[in-house]
Amino acid sequence: MKIVDSLSRIDRRIIYLMLAIVVIFPLIFRSPLSVRVMPPVEKLYYAIDEIPDDKALILNYEIDPQSQPELDPMGFAVIRHAFQRRIKVLIMCLYVQPLGLAQNALTQITNEFNSVAQTNADSIIYGRDYVYLGWVVSPLLVMLGMGESITNVYKVDYYGNKTDTLPLMAKIKNYNNVGLLVSISSGDPPKWWVEYAQNRFGLRVGAGVTAVSGAEFYPYLQTGQFSGLMVGMKGAAEYEEMVEEKLGIKIRRRASEALSSLTYAHLVLIAFIIIGNIGFFIKRRQK
Amino acid sequence: MNISYDFWIWVSAVMTLAIFSFLYRDNPFYKIAEHIFVGVTNGWGVTFYWHRVLWPFLFDPLFNQHKFLFIIPFVIGMLYFTRFIPRISWLVRIPIGLSMGYYVGASIPAGIQAYIIKQIQGTILTPQNFQAWHAGNMGIVWSIILFIGVICTLSYFYFSREQKGVLKVSARIGIIFIMIGFGAAFGYTVMARVSLLIGRLQFLLGPWLGIID
Repeated sequence: MKIVDSLSRIDRRIIYLMLAIVVIFPLIFRSPLSVRVMPPVEKLYYAIDEIPDDKALILNYEIDPQSQPELDPMGFAVIRHAFQRRIKVLIMCLYVQPLGLAQNALTQITNEFNSVAQTNADSIIYGRDYVYLGWVVSPLLVMLGMGESITNVYKVDYYGNKTDTLPLMAKIKNYNNVGLLVSISSGDPPKWWVEYAQNRFGLRVGAGVTAVSGAEFYPYLQTGQFSGLMVGMKGAAEYEEMVEEKLGIKIRRRASEALSSLTYAHLVLIAFIIIGNIGFFIKRRQK
Repeated sequence: MNISYDFWIWVSAVMTLAIFSFLYRDNPFYKIAEHIFVGVTNGWGVTFYWHRVLWPFLFDPLFNQHKFLFIIPFVIGMLYFTRFIPRISWLVRIPIGLSMGYYVGASIPAGIQAYIIKQIQGTILTPQNFQAWHAGNMGIVWSIILFIGVICTLSYFYFSREQKGVLKVSARIGIIFIMIGFGAAFGYTVMARVSLLIGRLQFLLGPWLGIID
């Protein structure tokens, strides 16, 4: 009876301690797991890869500190992919929290590319290869307004430059010049892009979302409203795998590094759920 | 081990540990970190919205560029504050009504198209939908399961008739689909929360303690 009681009343602090151990050890003593790329991520990769030269990728970077561990690796991988393939990129945010994180990502990745560039053509140059539009107020007005004119919505970019003076913006006027929009977000923005920009202007939309909202977004992939989907840290690791395998970019893979910890943490939680249920059923039978 | 000498990394690490201390039990360190977080967030929000919204979009055009039409949105916006004056608090309905009218008008047709019509189309058994699964010949099986799941789940929420006979069977099947949905959502929630823990531990072990790269 005592064992059964203790099984169904395990102190939550023991669970936290076990979780901490199984997460910390694989991070220190690395045991990388192989990553199998699933069709939703593969579709997103090819949707970006196939953007024609005369069209741009819009990256809606909605990554805030509370979703950073899951979504930041997605953002990094997508930007590296686009820069490596010389796809023109416009980065923008619908909320204010991601602004600093998006700037960090751009600074780090442009430094990576420019540190090995031999010529001006090899380099990633602001205004020519990418523009950081930043943020303006009201998501709905932004999403609808960009369908008419992007420079009318974003009169100045994040750094205060007039957008109509940037060479890239002379070619990218509105959604007609955009091959795909990828919204990486912990909330509803990917659905809003489908609702407003895709319905009205026919914009193709891909998404990267947190695991907690993953189940909610799969229906949009099945209906074809999303051109591809990354879910959680696992989705980010899959995209990192694609970028390394297809483009040969060998760089630190933060999501892939964490997969062992993620797997062991899941196994521990499954074990505790089973133990708790066994305790519950034995107790119920004894009553 | 290569401990950081960066003051801000130490601030970040100490705040993280203070928040984690709640896992043991509520304590003053957690409370301090929580209050600092709320204070910093509010302070940052107020200054940000002043510098990036109110000044460039309202006060600068109105007072420096003398675009006097901006008085209209300014006055309408100020009506939100009338709720603090009981005698004229009804005026708050004007800005609420305007913004609700705009957003509802914009979102209802778009929402019906994106969330209802397209989703219904995705449930219909067509060769195009079979291929959407990228599962070869299994595509038709997944589409049929989806179709059954949608119909049975909807029947569970049909409350205008007592659930017996065919309706009872379909509602029971609907419950199974609903439970599978909850299970998938819970599994993903676990994955998300563990990912956040991993993110913080990567920070503590990396930039702060220098144990990992």
